[in-house]
Amino acid sequence: MNGPLALDADAVTDALRDVIDPELGYNIVDLGLIYALAVEAGVVTLTMTMTTPGCPAQDYLVAGVEDRVRQLPGVADLKLDVVWEPPWTPQRMSSLAKAQLGIPD
Amino acid sequence: MITNRLSRWTPHFFASALVNFIGAEMLMLAGVTWPAHALGAAGTLITIHLLVIGWLLLLVLGALFQFVPVMTTLPLASQTAALACLVAVEGGLLGMIAGFLGVAGGTPRLAWLLPAGGGAVTIGIAIALWNVGVPLARARPSSLPGRMVMTGIAFLVATVTLGLLFAAVLSAPAAMPRLTPILAGVGEHALSGLGGWFTLTAMGVSYKLLPMFMLAPEERGALGRGVHLVGAMGFALAVVAGLAAIWRPIAIVIDIQRIGDVAIGLAVALYLWDVRRIYRERRRTAIELHNRAAIGAFAFLGVALASAAIAAAAHRLGAIAPALAFLIVFGWLGGLGITQLYKIVPFLAWLVRYGGRLGRGPVPRVQDLVRDRAALPWFIVYGAGVSIATVAALMRWPTAFRIGVAPIAVATIGLAVEYWRAWHATYADASRPVKPVPPAMPAPPASRETSLLINRGDRPRWNP
Repeated sequence: MNGPLALDADAVTDALRDVIDPELGYNIVDLGLIYALAVEAGVVTLTMTMTTPGCPAQDYLVAGVEDRVRQLPGVADLKLDVVWEPPWTPQRMSSLAKAQLGIPD
Repeated sequence: MITNRLSRWTPHFFASALVNFIGAEMLMLAGVTWPAHALGAAGTLITIHLLVIGWLLLLVLGALFQFVPVMTTLPLASQTAALACLVAVEGGLLGMIAGFLGVAGGTPRLAWLLPAGGGAVTIGIAIALWNVGVPLARARPSSLPGRMVMTGIAFLVATVTLGLLFAAVLSAPAAMPRLTPILAGVGEHALSGLGGWFTLTAMGVSYKLLPMFMLAPEERGALGRGVHLVGAMGFALAVVAGLAAIWRPIAIVIDIQRIGDVAIGLAVALYLWDVRRIYRERRRTAIELHNRAAIGAFAFLGVALASAAIAAAAHRLGAIAPALAFLIVFGWLGGLGITQLYKIVPFLAWLVRYGGRLGRGPVPRVQDLVRDRAALPWFIVYGAGVSIATVAALMRWPTAFRIGVAPIAVATIGLAVEYWRAWHATYADASRPVKPVPPAMPAPPASRETSLLINRGDRPRWNP
């Protein structure tokens, strides 16, 4: 019988695939909106961006990320920063996301 | 604060604007007025005010309340002020309509509603200017869209000031004999409003929205700055010199007015070229329906520009002015507005309905709130109607004009129904059973049938 999975960056990344950018309709991980992610002793440190500064969905995306991460077992705290440098570009998307949105790889 | 990026009252602005737009279309359909009708007739005045204040002004103000925070990354001065603005403008408009009807119907006791309504509209505009002016003035660095909206606002102030002067002169011509000739400046009033205010503002907002939704570069460079500067200078020169020519129609004033006209034409041409560049430089190969349909609005602007240039060269600009105004209001400004609503309404609906559920459970995409195959025919019908009605107005053929207005009205109602469906999320069904997608399977195509499966892209969606 398997025990609960240990909290690591992969588990957090996997959970963040449940959060979508509503306009592009794709998860924020494969869109390349997560710039940095680290997990240490249950503390998740996350740096992310938006597709455009002033995005009307920004507050919802941040709240969605917080909600999803805090639901993971073993999360003691979350430190989340939204940054604008470097600016997001479509080239940050994964190949799968680019294919889905019709963007040349 | 989770709601500071969502303009709470913007959907109400859009709903009011659409009701006023359909009302104006019904009046034209009923034959109450048409572009070549006498400007001073009550039916014409009511229709014009329904279109310019009721439709375009409320549409643009509602959009600015939502998108100025996007352009500036700063919140509005007040959400409550937006409601006060809506009540003042819509209430004032109704008062003005009642005043026009009272004056035309021989009921002078209702005439007071005309200046009272105009005053309420002015107060509403002042509230709106403060509400969007605060974030626009504080934004550092200022963006090109923001600067274009600021310029548009300056023309709005000029347009309202001219309108108030007209009202003052009309109400007491004997008291201001030196100002009475200003009544000949209706064309400059329209140019300041439709050109300096609505067109420059629409250009500025489109410089933000088109790249944002098509994933094209937002930086417009020298071309974008040229559109702004040449356009602002052109409208300013044409309006000021046009008004000055009423009192002193001397050669230098007429020449300045012509320089302004040429600058306007150049700015519009540069803008259309730049819009073409945005479409060509987009990263999303598939263009969403609202931006495909917007190509029609840009085409109407191009046709308006070409027609004005040809008519001006033939000294026939005055003869085509009513048809040109109709094309600009319904084809360019109305066309751009009604197509962008197809994106903005579901976007706002998504924020309101599903934003709080993000990260807690499955949610649809914005695209899932609309159905393109239901809306596409209405955009085609709308464009066809505008084309027919514009040609009919050009030929001075009122019956054919009404034949053209009919499809416009039907299409507007059809699109309003689609916006209603988007707002109430009738096309989205986030609660339907989710079929698992094997992890190794490539992402399914973006279709209505599979769209709710793809938010994870590469594996089954999370089920709470």
